[in-house]
Amino acid sequence: MSIRPATIALVVFFALAMAVFGVFAPRFASPSNMEDLMGGFSFIAILAMGEAFPILTRGIDLSVGAIVALVGMVIFDMSLIFHVPGYIIVPSALAVGALAGAVNGALIVFVRLQPFIATLATLATYRGIVYAISGRQLVEGLTTTPIKDRWITGLETYFDIGRMLGIGKAVHLPAVPLSFLLMLGVFILLQAVLLLTKFGRSVLTLGGNAEAARLAGLNTGWITIVSYAISGTCAGLAGLLLVAKLTTSTESIGFGMELSAIAAAVIGGVSLAGGVGSMFGPALGAFLLGAILLGLTLLQVSQYLQQIVTGAILLAAVGYDRLLLLRRLRRRATSG
Amino acid sequence: MTEDDKIPANDRRNFLKGMMLGSAALTGAASGLFSKLDLAAGDIGISQVRADTPERIKMAFVQYQPHSVSSAWGKGIGEVLATQQIVDYQQLDGQSKLEVQVSLMDTLVSQGVQVIFVQPVDSVGIAPSIQKAKRAGINVITLNIDSTEPHAAHVEMNHYYGAMDIAKTMGDKMGGKGKVAIINAPPGIIIRDQRTNGFKDGLKKYHPDIQVIADQEAGWDRKKAQDVFTTIYAANPDLAGVYGVNDDMALGAVDVAKEKSLLGKLVIFGNDGETAALESIEAGELTGTQYTDGLQQGRLAAAVATVLATGGVTPDGFGQQGHLLMPYIIATKENVSQILPYQRW
Repeated sequence: MSIRPATIALVVFFALAMAVFGVFAPRFASPSNMEDLMGGFSFIAILAMGEAFPILTRGIDLSVGAIVALVGMVIFDMSLIFHVPGYIIVPSALAVGALAGAVNGALIVFVRLQPFIATLATLATYRGIVYAISGRQLVEGLTTTPIKDRWITGLETYFDIGRMLGIGKAVHLPAVPLSFLLMLGVFILLQAVLLLTKFGRSVLTLGGNAEAARLAGLNTGWITIVSYAISGTCAGLAGLLLVAKLTTSTESIGFGMELSAIAAAVIGGVSLAGGVGSMFGPALGAFLLGAILLGLTLLQVSQYLQQIVTGAILLAAVGYDRLLLLRRLRRRATSG
Repeated sequence: MTEDDKIPANDRRNFLKGMMLGSAALTGAASGLFSKLDLAAGDIGISQVRADTPERIKMAFVQYQPHSVSSAWGKGIGEVLATQQIVDYQQLDGQSKLEVQVSLMDTLVSQGVQVIFVQPVDSVGIAPSIQKAKRAGINVITLNIDSTEPHAAHVEMNHYYGAMDIAKTMGDKMGGKGKVAIINAPPGIIIRDQRTNGFKDGLKKYHPDIQVIADQEAGWDRKKAQDVFTTIYAANPDLAGVYGVNDDMALGAVDVAKEKSLLGKLVIFGNDGETAALESIEAGELTGTQYTDGLQQGRLAAAVATVLATGGVTPDGFGQQGHLLMPYIIATKENVSQILPYQRW
């Protein structure tokens, strides 16, 4: 697979943003800030990579933020009400995410709902379930009880790479959070799925031209359901990491997070028209958004202006995606 | 007249001396003779006597969400810190999201602030961030919502005892009997429990004949409270009193009461004491509210912060977390004029 111009543009923009903030934003280049960037945005990167799958099939998943909250509350209840050990909670959390995602896919395939409508509906439904099962409301005193299970809190661990390599005294390297390593793992896994498996190629074919995919004998229903299940599983993992960081879960966590995930995916060059994109883009897109947020905060730029900047970048990315799409269509028209 | 003629002989000599010293200093500095050349303070490393120019202190306030209460605190904090002349202060918005607050706290720790004021979205969720701040030597002061992680100080409105007094005054106004409804905040926040339990315990203590017949959530919001109260009233037309756990929600009930011409029949109480509520009391609409001087609350928090920061007090320098309850009055038509314009927020 050749490297697309959108990816090059993203890398250049990311490097530029890092360089500019590194020079102008006080303490941006400090190890502690790099830890914040890796630790604070890895779960967004994971969400964005998951979100890329539905978008690649020419769909969208608006429910990922609600799935984060759902998984968060399941972890909360299992740990604090039922005292289930963490090694059972972790796989269960991922399973809940996968199931919630698969339900999205099933609604789209079997009920033939538009992805936008189907996931908007499940967004509301999953949020409703979160309130209904909230241990914070069912059992008194849990609002002030942190989750202490090592299997969960252990996910929020930082590795002092400098000291491990024995150069900790010479250079002060940022400690690498486990969430960042997990993010890298997800990246490698999903990129391999996308590039090396039949399923991955089918996703791209389906997104590129659904009719052609059907005619080619692909099981489009199955591909759709699995794509949304991947998105849900990633949301489950993101929920786990978030709960580990916060040592609790609330009814409102993950609110609006689907927008960050979609923004990161689109900025990362995943075409909203489907069929085009990789895992590298969404991951880097998430860290780009993170770097901009941290950099502007350190520069003491108003947060409202920050939101405008983020919106402008998203608009530019969508515009660029559109431009590339038009060029693709024109080329196809002239060559055909 | 030439330029030279303007400078008297004595001044000229001084000028030349200054030039010599200056160039000597520059040469010295260039050759690394004076290791602590400080041009800004005029210190070239020779003179030990100079005005003390302390390093500027950074402080920040991470609010829950934009609201009249947090902006009153922010204003009060800003007033006191601006007077100190050595403090850089910024206010950040948590956007009602725990994860945003946590990210902002982390950034402030990287930024090297000395004090963080925070109104946490969640008591437990903010705890790891407070732990991290403490490790970095930063004092954290919470406003209204406490954290499970001990920190420098907690400055809060008197939620529980204030709500008991609301129940007492409200019951007096109702003649000690009748049905009341509570328009409540969403669950999961300590102050909701304090303001609700205080009210219920107050009724039990002072007015045991008054019954709470509805307790519904309206998300701190005036518009939502209108809808919630409309439904409650439809189901309970014999309702005699309403308690909104913040002023916005109480004013939502006032809106409905006005529309249905129920103002004389209903006793409506709020909590906080923001300007809109006080004006509504003066207009004879809202019956009363618990008034706390939000500006003063901010000023007291800033005073604590300044003492800690300038005194070089580290987070582990305490035995345990300090706790400050704000004074308050139950404002009604009889005493609302005592609250002066500069005390309103």
